[in-house]
Amino acid sequence: MSAAPRVVAAVAAGKATAAASRLTGRGGGTSLPGLVAERISPHLLGDLLAASATRVAAVTGSNGKTTTARLLAALLTGEGLSVGHNRAGANLARGITALAVSTASWTGRLPDGVLVAEVDEGALLEVTPQARPAVLVVTNLFRDQLDRFGEIYAVADALAAAAARLPADATLVLNADDPLVAALADRVSLPVLTFGFDGPDSLDALSSAADSIRCPRCRVDLTYTRVWLSHLGDYHCPSCGFTRPQPDVAVTAVRVLGSDRTQLVVRTPDATVDLDLPQGGVHVAYNAAAALAAAAALGVAVPHAADSLAGVRPAFGRLETLDAGGRAVALAFAKNPTSFNTTLHTVMADGGPRHLMMAVSNTGVDGEDFGWLWDVDVEPLADRVEHVTLAGLRADELATRLKYAGVPESATTVVTDPVAALDAALALLPHGERLVVVAGYTPTIQVREAMRRRGWTNRYWQS
Amino acid sequence: MTTPPPTPAATVAPADVRPLRIAHLYPSLLNVAGDGGNVTAVVRRAAWRGYATAVTDVGLGAADGLADADLVFFHGGQDVEMEVVAADLSAKRDALHDAVAAGAVVFGVCAGLQLLGHRYVPSAGPALDGLGLLDLETRGGPTRFMQHAAVEVDLGGETTTVVGFENHSGVTRLGPGAAAFGTVVAGAGNNGEDGSEGARAGRVLATYLHGPVLPKNPTLADYLLALALERAAGAPVHLAALDDTVERRNHAVALRRAMDGRGQVSVLAPARLARDLGGGGR
Repeated sequence: MSAAPRVVAAVAAGKATAAASRLTGRGGGTSLPGLVAERISPHLLGDLLAASATRVAAVTGSNGKTTTARLLAALLTGEGLSVGHNRAGANLARGITALAVSTASWTGRLPDGVLVAEVDEGALLEVTPQARPAVLVVTNLFRDQLDRFGEIYAVADALAAAAARLPADATLVLNADDPLVAALADRVSLPVLTFGFDGPDSLDALSSAADSIRCPRCRVDLTYTRVWLSHLGDYHCPSCGFTRPQPDVAVTAVRVLGSDRTQLVVRTPDATVDLDLPQGGVHVAYNAAAALAAAAALGVAVPHAADSLAGVRPAFGRLETLDAGGRAVALAFAKNPTSFNTTLHTVMADGGPRHLMMAVSNTGVDGEDFGWLWDVDVEPLADRVEHVTLAGLRADELATRLKYAGVPESATTVVTDPVAALDAALALLPHGERLVVVAGYTPTIQVREAMRRRGWTNRYWQS
Repeated sequence: MTTPPPTPAATVAPADVRPLRIAHLYPSLLNVAGDGGNVTAVVRRAAWRGYATAVTDVGLGAADGLADADLVFFHGGQDVEMEVVAADLSAKRDALHDAVAAGAVVFGVCAGLQLLGHRYVPSAGPALDGLGLLDLETRGGPTRFMQHAAVEVDLGGETTTVVGFENHSGVTRLGPGAAAFGTVVAGAGNNGEDGSEGARAGRVLATYLHGPVLPKNPTLADYLLALALERAAGAPVHLAALDDTVERRNHAVALRRAMDGRGQVSVLAPARLARDLGGGGR
């Protein structure tokens, strides 16, 4: 049996677009093929899925979508499943269609298996009716681009609305340690599987960037007995009795051994797994637990989990260390106070950063309002950092922030163009030292692309 | 024998002024987009000149440190936080009125502006009572004003441009007892119609420019600092000049951005989502 002619034509057009844009080197065809294919067949995603036994595992939330999706794809691939994965993080509706197009055969058939789709919180409502995910993972809810999403309660409402449209046999995979995410279980009548931490002592204190530290049911301040990352922790409401659900998949121990290695122990309903991941940070442990919970929700046993995950390197711009002509550059993408804080904490675990570049730009993708930079805990940098190069369209806001954090003005340079700033920072970098670059989405792309042109790194959609 | 001419700074030496008492209202609730940067700005700019400060965080249920404060910060929050704060204001009403009567400076931002007024009347649901320290009332509106903004403000006889970012759907109207904080140069201001932005009455000042507005507007930061220090010192205070090169460059970039977007209501289409869902600060 072959697919409808319109579906075949749409898939072919999408695939051709992807090939053409890869050839011309313009972004690897991450979402344009979706646009082209949808022009020909507007319900392409739904049609492709309906005609196959492929299941969709959608990953959404503020932070950790990309890494969680990568880990889940690796887990499933490691067990021999056929997996499609939107690995370049093209996570709006069109990117999901592009994922289906790239995974489908030229005859318009999807292989039996799983599509792991990272879905932007804002696109989920639109994607759900066609994608009909079998599993929806919600990683966490942090304040992210307030000028885009309004507020995290509105995002929670949007997630609840999308979850209500999931197929009746779908499973929600929720972060037990995030009150607003855990409370989504109240709002839908679907099976729920939770992940979180269980065992480690506090690793963090409630920071000024913490968002949902009030009870999602009665709005009273929650009591935390342990805090693991920003507002993720073991909490209960002293007023209405709302309590953190016991995580079904739990990280029982975690050791961050620098910015490129984390060891953890995860207890799943079936087994206890020791993991050694080539990525640094407490957040990585959360992402791994989320991926293991998603695999469990899909009913996939993962006896090869440790091997499958051992080779998953950081995603594009997630503290990946690149060779810049013999000099080490660690590139970290940060889009909100929590990801900024998480990145800075992780690089400080290495004793650094002594040489830092920070870049943010106000654009349609990155957001316009960068007031949240004042919620980033940059004060600890003041007596560690030797030099900071500031870049992007909002470099001057960064410069002001650092000045008021006590970083001497003599230790900062503003170079608005991110690529020129990279060169300036590298010129100041002593032999044998590492430059840490923490940047928003657009400057990360600019820096990464400049490095690629110089042969310093791969194209991001290949990583 | 000649006596040395008095220098303006000699009115009261910084070391002779008791620590400036700063009350930061609801710091964990009203922190929507880096508003705490305003407190940081004042504390740092005081310290750079040798003035000590003591910041008291005043959360739910508490009123300690309010009645004798020299400077009170009342920032913006998301809808849910604003409701929690409004319900708690009765615990602070008397102390805040006492503080203002005793000469305290109050700086309100966004939800703080709205709750310094008489009331906030949402599109749906019950009205929230404000403090009545500013003669104004706010109603929920259909449009979310979300953009870079600039306001021309008179600060002690000096006209200056204050820049920042506004993000609200509340429509504020001033009564005869309050003057505007300033005049809209770019942005929507209080209601998108009459060109007024924010409000002030005596030493109570409030604006819709949310987030860290003081760090990039050092003139405004110093104006508030000098007013508050005057109370702590018991005499006018002359603030020594600082090197504000970094702040002024930041100000210039923000002003350019605001002027580029003049005439717009909202900078981003995807905000539609939040608006449709009734999100965002008011």
